[in-house]
Amino acid sequence: MASLAEAASAAEVKPRKRLALHIDPVRIPVYAWLLLIVVLPNLLLIAISFLTASNGRLNFVLSFGNYARLLGSAGFWRLLEATLEFSLIASLCGALAAYPMAYFVGRIAHRNKALLTILVLVPLWISLLMRVFSWRLILGQNGVLNSFLVTSGLLEQPSAAFLYTAASVVLTFAYVSIPFVFISCLNAFEKIPAALIEASEDSGASKFQTFCFVIWPLTRRSLAIGFSLAFLVTVGDYVTPSMVGGMNGTTLGVLISSQFGMANNWPYGAALSIALILCVGVVLAVVLWLCPARGVFSGDEGGAAKARTHATPSALTTLSGALFYALAIAFLYAPLLLMVLFSLNDSTLQSFPLQGFTWRWYEALAGNGGLIAAAQRSVIVAVCVVLASTLIGTGFALTLHYRRGPGSQLIELLLALPLAMPAVVLGIVMVLGTELVGVPSGLPRTVVGQASFIMPVTMLLVLTRLRRLDPSLMEASRDLGAGRFRSFVHVIFPLIRGAVISGALLGLTLSADDVMVTLFLSGPSQTLPIWVFNQMRFGFTPSVNAVFTILGAIALTSVVLSQVVVRLRTNALSDMPGD
Amino acid sequence: MRQVSDGPVLRLDHVSKTYPGSRKPALDSVSFEVAAGEFFSILGPSGSGKTTILRTIAGFERPDRGRVLMAGVDVTQLVPNKRDVRTVFQSYALFPHLTVAENVQYPLRMQGVSRPERARRSVEALEHVAMEGYATRLPHQLSGGQRQRVALARAIVSRPPLLLLDEPLGALDLRLRQQMQHTLVSLQKELRIAFVYVTHDQSEALSMSDRVLVMRDGRIAQLGTPLDLYYKPQSEFVAEFVGNSNMLPVDFEPDRESYVATIQGTKLPEMRSNVAGQGRVAIRYGHVKLEADDGCERRAGELAGVVENVLFLGTSFEVDVRCGALRIMSSVPASHAPGFVNGQTVKVAFDLTEARLFHG
Repeated sequence: MASLAEAASAAEVKPRKRLALHIDPVRIPVYAWLLLIVVLPNLLLIAISFLTASNGRLNFVLSFGNYARLLGSAGFWRLLEATLEFSLIASLCGALAAYPMAYFVGRIAHRNKALLTILVLVPLWISLLMRVFSWRLILGQNGVLNSFLVTSGLLEQPSAAFLYTAASVVLTFAYVSIPFVFISCLNAFEKIPAALIEASEDSGASKFQTFCFVIWPLTRRSLAIGFSLAFLVTVGDYVTPSMVGGMNGTTLGVLISSQFGMANNWPYGAALSIALILCVGVVLAVVLWLCPARGVFSGDEGGAAKARTHATPSALTTLSGALFYALAIAFLYAPLLLMVLFSLNDSTLQSFPLQGFTWRWYEALAGNGGLIAAAQRSVIVAVCVVLASTLIGTGFALTLHYRRGPGSQLIELLLALPLAMPAVVLGIVMVLGTELVGVPSGLPRTVVGQASFIMPVTMLLVLTRLRRLDPSLMEASRDLGAGRFRSFVHVIFPLIRGAVISGALLGLTLSADDVMVTLFLSGPSQTLPIWVFNQMRFGFTPSVNAVFTILGAIALTSVVLSQVVVRLRTNALSDMPGD
Repeated sequence: MRQVSDGPVLRLDHVSKTYPGSRKPALDSVSFEVAAGEFFSILGPSGSGKTTILRTIAGFERPDRGRVLMAGVDVTQLVPNKRDVRTVFQSYALFPHLTVAENVQYPLRMQGVSRPERARRSVEALEHVAMEGYATRLPHQLSGGQRQRVALARAIVSRPPLLLLDEPLGALDLRLRQQMQHTLVSLQKELRIAFVYVTHDQSEALSMSDRVLVMRDGRIAQLGTPLDLYYKPQSEFVAEFVGNSNMLPVDFEPDRESYVATIQGTKLPEMRSNVAGQGRVAIRYGHVKLEADDGCERRAGELAGVVENVLFLGTSFEVDVRCGALRIMSSVPASHAPGFVNGQTVKVAFDLTEARLFHG
């Protein structure tokens, strides 16, 4: 009888257990996000690419017509080629500049490494619009380059050959690429233990041989990843080509965005997007295949030699490295400084010589109702997006870390998918997604759209931090009598607070700067960058310089703040082993 | 020496080095020679400068003053890759992206040795360390002891006349460490490569080396054979560091025509001196004799003590005895018979035949 009862109770327990294994209630919000923000909108994109449209209305008839149309269109092939070419050449140029810079900061420079790093990364926090716009200041017909060439007598009259060309798109893309490649490579250079370099020299390798056989194989993977990042960011960028590209600098992104705008042919736009994604996937696969990673640091190569001293590089190496770095920094900052300068210049012309100091462009902003309304909207959107992303991102990170289950890795990848999509595609995917669920147009739509790529950023930051924590900390806390919740409050949260805060600040700048996704979603309720973008299309006033200078200053402040937070946290925790 | 040699394979000549930002010199006028085929150890506590010596020989540090000579040639200004010396790094420093065979072939590849020749010699080197079955593995697929062997194979594959080993056994557990000690000694004998072996483990240095250099605060404390160091330490520091010795304070008090040593007021009639004053005497654990207190009168030179703690070390017991304010360690040969127990009162006698006295 007893055994029968046992069997009965076992039978009762079993199905419940299996059910719990399948749907962990804590993970339901993760699944919900995944379904609503990632899976359904993307499926919708695929589905819609097989429909057709007439006069802006969808015909619900399955057809391969869009694909047949684009495959047969010479324009499509020309644009695709141009798009891939621009991004590839630009990412390559960015890599050629950033790899030596990362080498210099990671392995040659001894002092001020943090400052040298931040200097390269600051442009990432500065509005993309501002960076692109600043190149217009330089390349335009009334721009700095032309006025310099004319005054120095090299040119008879200002040339229109600089702006609105393919070259100006590539230049601007390369400019945008540098920080992405740099951050990826720097990490790789810093991770190489000094003992490995010494072991190579000890084995009789010259500096050049050491580079070829040790440093390059250990960093090429990160170079490829940085290159891929730069490629992804630029290939999905339809704002830069429309601002500096002109006729010859148009890309597939511009064409796609126009299908969701003036051309109003969603199915064809969706098909173009899918074609773009497939091509990008192939390019990235080839890049990563060309730069294979092999072997894993086992964690004991570092040893004492790392803490002691670097092998001192020769004075010539240091000097040429510093010179190259300084030139690259000048390239990164010159356009931005020009913009600040012109925002204070008492002239409507963007050229030298400067006409004297004025605040009037800033004063003009104060009386501009459209601007103030847009700024207010930007603040509302940013606050909503940051609050939601930080809460959800932290929650998801905790769930994924402490409730690892089947498919955790896949879920994480899918959640981060919006980050890996060309921005123009993400924009239209979010249009489809919000349309499907019925999110009202305007600010709510913008908030959802921005959260789709800002939440993964905060989540990944927190998740990285959680993974670096000693797993026995949670166990120690439980062992010492704290429950899960109290362990979180007293042990885990204080340790991840830095990551949460810097994620929130990063999210703030991402939200405040976003054009690519917001442009599709904002409708008439423009946020600040969209308002500025539209202003620039209608014509230019130097007030734009002033707006960008203010935005840049805000972005810089939040970078500095987040750095201070991180620094404080790491200082407080620096004596923890394995931290 | 094992080999008739033309001269020392390595000579350091008054080498001094102060790291930037540090006031204390890491090396202070260090001179010594290493003969061809010699097993030469550098022993010292951490921070004594032993690793700096190694890095100076390898070429990773430039001395501020002094010269480094290899086979009679001044290499002080030579970069590491031009020096005919190999290092086994404390952290092994295996290249994570290269297989075991590629790691071992690395120095040959740098010398431009042909591919088949490289393959042949790497197999040979791997056979020396019994790792020939692992040629195609990557370093992270190996255990710590196996990585150690590969690092060793990489260092010997080009048959350098001189091999530097930086605490190579530090990360291994006791059993592996003992195995590797045997491997190292037999390998060194077979290949006739001079080893400069850095360690802070005195038993390791004494058991393996032909000669041992003891370092303290950047200076040479003593250089000699293991027997020299063990039986004739020239300073308190060496005595304490090398042999497991008690350093006991002694007072010399007038007694007849000279002075006799007293410890805690107990005279040691066998230890006399011509001068008065204080000193310290080094007495090895094994020369402290314990005897259960049978209630009889203590003989001359015996102290009364109480057993505080007993550790069983396999071949012996280490007994910690409190004699007044002093703690004295005694090593008692292990036996099945019950030894000493905590709290037991004992009589402590000293065998002073090898005790070293340091005045001061």
